[in-house]
This record gives sequence, C-alpha cells and structure tokens, in this order.
Amino acid sequence: MANVTFDGIWKVYGDDTVAVRDLSLDIGDGEFVVLVGPSGCGKTTALRMVAGLEEITSGELRIGDRTVNEVPAKDRDIAMVFQSYALYPHLTVFENIAFGLRLQKVEKAEVEKRVTDAARVLGLEPYLRRKPRALSGGQRQRVAMGRAIVRRPRVFLMDEPLSNLDAKLRVQTRAEISRLQSDLGVTTIYVTHDQVEAMTMGDRVAVMRKGVLQQVAAPQVLYDEPANLFVAGFIGSPSMNLFRGTIAQDGDALVADLGEARLPLSAATLERRPALRAHAGREVVVGIRPEDLEDPAHARDPDAPRLRGRVVLREALGSEIVAHLATGLRDVDIDPEERGVDPQEAGIAEGAAVSGETPLVARISPRSGISEGEDAELAVDVSALHFFDPGNGLGISDAEPVIGASA
Amino acid sequence: MAGGGNIAAAPPVPRERRRARLRDRVVAGAFLLPAAVLLGVWLVYPAVNTVVRSFYDRSGDAFVGIDNYRTLFSSDPLLTAIRNNALWVAVVPALVTAIGLIFAVLTERIRWSVAFKVAVFMPMAISLFAAGVIWRVMYEKEPDRGAINATIGAVADWVDPPGVLSSARASSPALAGGTGGGIALRDTVRPGGVALMGLTGIRASEVPDDAREAVRPASRPGTVTGVVWRDFRPGGGRAGVVEPGESGLPGVTVELRHSGGGRVATTETGPDGTFRFDGVADGDYRVAIGAATFAAPFDGVNWLGQGLITPAVMMAYIWVWAGFAMVVIGAGLAAIPRDLLEAARTDGASEWQVFRRVTVPLLAPVLSVVFITMIINVLKVFDIVLSVAPASVQDDANVIALAMWRTAFGGTNDFGLGSAIAVFLFLLVIPVLALNVRRFRREQ
Repeated sequence: MANVTFDGIWKVYGDDTVAVRDLSLDIGDGEFVVLVGPSGCGKTTALRMVAGLEEITSGELRIGDRTVNEVPAKDRDIAMVFQSYALYPHLTVFENIAFGLRLQKVEKAEVEKRVTDAARVLGLEPYLRRKPRALSGGQRQRVAMGRAIVRRPRVFLMDEPLSNLDAKLRVQTRAEISRLQSDLGVTTIYVTHDQVEAMTMGDRVAVMRKGVLQQVAAPQVLYDEPANLFVAGFIGSPSMNLFRGTIAQDGDALVADLGEARLPLSAATLERRPALRAHAGREVVVGIRPEDLEDPAHARDPDAPRLRGRVVLREALGSEIVAHLATGLRDVDIDPEERGVDPQEAGIAEGAAVSGETPLVARISPRSGISEGEDAELAVDVSALHFFDPGNGLGISDAEPVIGASA
Repeated sequence: MAGGGNIAAAPPVPRERRRARLRDRVVAGAFLLPAAVLLGVWLVYPAVNTVVRSFYDRSGDAFVGIDNYRTLFSSDPLLTAIRNNALWVAVVPALVTAIGLIFAVLTERIRWSVAFKVAVFMPMAISLFAAGVIWRVMYEKEPDRGAINATIGAVADWVDPPGVLSSARASSPALAGGTGGGIALRDTVRPGGVALMGLTGIRASEVPDDAREAVRPASRPGTVTGVVWRDFRPGGGRAGVVEPGESGLPGVTVELRHSGGGRVATTETGPDGTFRFDGVADGDYRVAIGAATFAAPFDGVNWLGQGLITPAVMMAYIWVWAGFAMVVIGAGLAAIPRDLLEAARTDGASEWQVFRRVTVPLLAPVLSVVFITMIINVLKVFDIVLSVAPASVQDDANVIALAMWRTAFGGTNDFGLGSAIAVFLFLLVIPVLALNVRRFRREQ
C-alpha cells in the first residue's frame, strides 16, 4: 500500500497534442480517488501513466517514496482493471486470477489458497474451471477484479470497469467494489465518465477537462461548492441551471438581476460568499440546482422569489417531477457534451427546448399540478444559489478556488 | 390446388409450374456445366486414370498389380526421395512458422516495418522456379561467381587471412616439406650461418607488389641470416643459387627451430626476401617457413554438392515462404487486443513472458494454419528442387514429386511407376488436408 503523487505531470503526444497538462495530485495511502470528466479529458491517460503503459512527457510520478517515471509496468506493483476486462481467453478463470502469482513464482499451495479466497469473496467459486467466454459480463468483471486483488498490489487502477455492465448490475457492482476497496484498504484510482459512480464511490473526486484538473474534493463538497462553471455543470443530474445576470444594489440589499426576475441575496448567502459584495454592479453567472426550485404550492417558503416560464416538458419519475421551463432568461453557453449528463437525456432536453435556448430544469414535488404547455411559476431557494465570474468561470466566494488542493 | 380431403394423392401440378421447374433445372445445369466439364476433364478423369495406370507397366499394356508400389519402396533413388521429403516435412514448416513469427513480431516494433514487410514478402511474387534459379546462381561454388560464397569468403578471409603464397614448393633438395606443414631446410644451421630458401611454382601474380630483387645476405656471427626468394627467372637459372633478376619474397613468416623441434623465434622477410635472427645462442638450428604462409584463400562451400544440396534447397524455399508466414501471422498479431498485452504487463510479466504466455497461445490458431499449409506445400515441393539442384545431384536432392516427374517424363518414361508415385503423394497429402478442413469447420 502506498500513496501516489502526481507532480506537475504532462503528457504531450508527438503532434503537440496535450493530453494531460501540469497535473498535480496527492493520493493518500488507502484512499479511493475517482478521476472523472467527459471523454478526451485525459483521465484515462493519467491512469495509464500510473500503470506504466504510457510514457510520462515531463513531471514526476511517485508511488510510495519511489519515483516511477522510468519503471516498467511490471515492476510498479500495481494492478489494473480494464474497461474490456482484458481476460486471457485461453486460460480458465482460475488461471486468469492466478496469472500474476504464477509470474511471481508464488508457491503452488499458496496460489491455490489465494485464488480460492479471492474467488470466494467475489462469488466466483463455481466458475473457476470455465473459460472467460463462458461467463456473463458481470462474472467477467469479477474475474478481472479477482485478478487485481489476488496479487495484493500497492495500488489498484480501474479504467471504467463498470461501463460494459447493464444499469442494474452496475449499481450492484459499484457497491461491491466500494466495499472490497475499503476492506482491503488499497489505494485506488478509479476512472469513469459517469458522475454517479464518481459521487458514490470516491473518497475524493478529481474532475478533469481537456487535460486540466478542475477541482479535487470530497463528493459533497464538489456538489455544494463547485470551483468553476465546468464543475458546476458537470456534477449533478439534471445539471445546474446557469443564467447570466448582474449583481444589483437594491437599497441596502443586493439582488441578482436576471432580467426577467430579481432574486434577493440573503444574509446567509453573503456570509458564505463575502466576495459577492465586490461584484455589485457587475455581471455574474447565477447557478440554480434543479432541486432548489419548487412548485410554490409545495415550497417550504411560500413567499420565496419566483421564476416564470412555460412548461415545455414534464417528466414524472414517480418520486419527483422533472419540469423543463422556457423562461427567456439569458443562458450560458456550455457544450452539452461537457455536462455530466447522459447524451440521450441531453437529447431529450434539447429537443424539448422551444427556441434553442436552454430550458430551466427543476425537480419538483410529484404532487405538483403543473402541466405541459402551460405557464408556471417556480419558487427559488435563494440561500442555495451559486455564483460564478463570467470572465474566468471561477466560483465567487471568499476562499481561493480549491483547484488541486488535497483534502 | 387439390381438395382438402384428398391428402394421399399428390396434388396435380399445373403445366405452367412444371415448365417453370424444368426451366429452373436447365438454368442451374447451364451454370454448373462449365465447372463440371473443367473439373471432369482436368481433375476427375486424370486422377482416376492415374490410379488405374499405376497398376500397369511402363508401356501401359500389362497389368502388374502392386509391383509399381513395391518398386517405390525398394528402389534406392525413390527411397531417397521419400527420406528427403520426410526431412522437408520435419524441418521446413517449423522453420517457416518460426521465422514468420519472429518477423511478424519484429515488424510490429520497427519504424520501417512497411519497407521490411515488402522486402520479405517480395519473393512470394516470384515463381518458385525463378526463385530457384536465383538461388542456384547465388550458390555457385566459386566465390567470384556465387554471392553466398563471396560473402562467406570475405568474412573467412578477414577472420583467417590467406598466406602470402598459397602454392609453392622447394626449388632444391636442400629444402624439405610442403605447403601443408611448412617447408624447412634439411641441414641444420649454426649462428653465423646463412639459410638459402628458394621456392618455385609461384605465379608472377602471386609475388607481392613490394618485392625487390633477392639479395644473398652476409654471414654475421651470433646471427642466423637468410633469404626467401623466388628461385626462378625467365630462361632458367640455377636452382638453390640467388641470381640477379630473381625476386625476394617479402612478408613470409620464417621460424627458427631447435634441431630437435620446438620454436625458438619467428620473423618476417623484408622486401628483398632477407631475414635474420639476432642473438642466437650457440647450437644447431633448423630454419623453416611456417605453414601459415601457404594457407590457401577460401575456395567456396560446395552448396550444390551432394552433401549440402537438400539444406540449400530448403533455404531457398524458406526464403520464399517466410513472407507468407509473416503476413498471415502479422494479421493474427494485429487481431490480439492491446488490452490483453497491457494487462499481462501490469500483472508483472516481462516482454518475453507476455510473448510466451499471452501472444503465442492467442496466436496458436494462426500458427497452426500456417504450419499445416506449409506441410501440404512441402509434401508437394517440386519446382524449386528442380531449379536449384543441378542434374548431377538431383538424385540426392530428390523429393517425391520430383521423382514422379523424373520417372514419368524425365527420360525414363515409366508412366506406371510415375503414376504409383503420384498416387502415393496424394495419399500422403489427404490426412493433412482433412485436418485443415476440420479446423475450418470448427472455426465456423
């Protein structure tokens, strides 16, 4: 077991394509860190550099106290789980799991014992004599896990290990991996594009975009205090509503002027974000999480300020209703691919938008009486608003943006 | 159609339907006919006829039963052919597969892999017979003519340089010995003596360029002096006497030996052929020219001789087929998911272990296809043997197909025995072919 340190790591491909830009990240001993981001953000490249499958262009990578930039993969004492599982098709499940041990010339009896133990933990005992092609996707995934844990490596590396499983199995396996990792206490780096995996599994989550680390924090912190517009849009599903507005003086108080609506800033908000005062009279981006909007009839505070719009889509999910409203507010241009939303889901939302503008998305009470095509009002929980500087995209708060900081 | 109750009787087929069915058959027959005719005339008929013919004698008049098959397994040239063919099967498919595998793996890693692949695959574009002719020329024994012996000769002469004189003999009875063990003076020499070592039988072209006229050195006390010279001048001259116009032989290694044997010192002659050993203790000595001086230059490996002809033909054959193996195995290699190799590396495997434990097992189906294909090819090997091996050694290089051809068409004109050989070869190929077909079925 060991900590893993990225110290100013760069990966530049021959044609000057920068895959990873100046990545610095400390991963503690036994910690579970999830690298998450849209495809092409460099998360897999970063993982492969730890594995030794990708050369490091510059910077220093340490596992434990050892600088491993030049150490070949076989000597790094890591175990990797691949998206495709990469099981050896010519070997039985037993031999697949035992492969690494055989290479280490571990004693026969010991191999037998460790493989059987791993198989029991993973529920693979009935399948040990089978070839991988005779297994289901979930079983293959567990064989891949078995191959990793049986060697007792210092670091686990997992490259989207669940993306080939169906949704139900994914949820179950997610929990199994988390439990296994905390039982074994092995430092783990886990790459995924799925923010739900990131939020549920990681001790800390590192969000990457175009090769640059955006924010590293515990999942809840990431959700509550996104460091910039990208993280705000990426984390959370449906993703945060972002609109342009200005901070205006309204007597003694400050309000966020969204054009169509004015949202007063509570004392609590200003206390949490003292830097907002300095933005008075300037343009900002206001973020509203869908769950901070509610049908006024069901809102905790019936007098809360409201946003108006026409309901273009109403998705009843049973436990809640997801309502899409065309509001006429000035939205912020964010590439839908960079939102942490399923492309299909995004497609629905896009199709529902009347004019190309992004609709306001709200998660409201299932007892709400709103219906498609009608105008509706939504109450806003102003204490939960997020603010960003439109110039550099950074969140407006007092604290320095928490990019690259360790927990 | 017929009424529902009348099941047993065939429903009467309307005339139009019948005509349509007939037309279908005619069309199908028309499409099949060309192939059927071609197969029948050039494959089925000759095959059947060959089997029948193998039970008849040379002229085809008398039925001889299995006599031809008896001859096949009792006559020496034919047994050589069978033995050689067995050797081919044992050596060539394995070598071609191994070399193809090595090339395929290497070309995955080198930068100029496309150029390399083209170069290795190129022989496949040449007919085997032409490839045989190329190798026949390269195998020439004379290093001046055969590329392979020229190459070996260049290396051999560099590692072990030839002597100054490769063909020389003593000019007078005062000297004894020959080019094999060196040439020595019969009489012993004492310090102060002069050793005269005349040699003849040296072509003018063999005399080193820096040679000058030979000089008879003066006697000096405590020193053995002497001269090695070409004891010959146009018009004759006296043997054993240094005369004007006779050339000294420089660069010759001269040894001073105890009279009882054992070397005391060595030296080399100067441009005028003189040499001397200084500070020689009193006693009797012999003076000799070392054998190294007479070492002959490399004169070529006799690739096309009886002993090496089969390996030589095999080499040519492997040269042609290695490209095929490389391309097929390379395709198999490209089909192995990178993930698997990377997984093995992260599992702690060295490159060799990855190759041995992952790449090769995954390539096994492709390797066996290449191997089996090569067995079939090698069983039928014919033209390259004919073109590489000169007629004089074709008995030694013989293989079954060549034996068949030589027996039936090569002057003997024994079509009975020739047919028997052909049938025997066919029987050998069948099981391997069946193996291959079964493999294909299983893969589908």
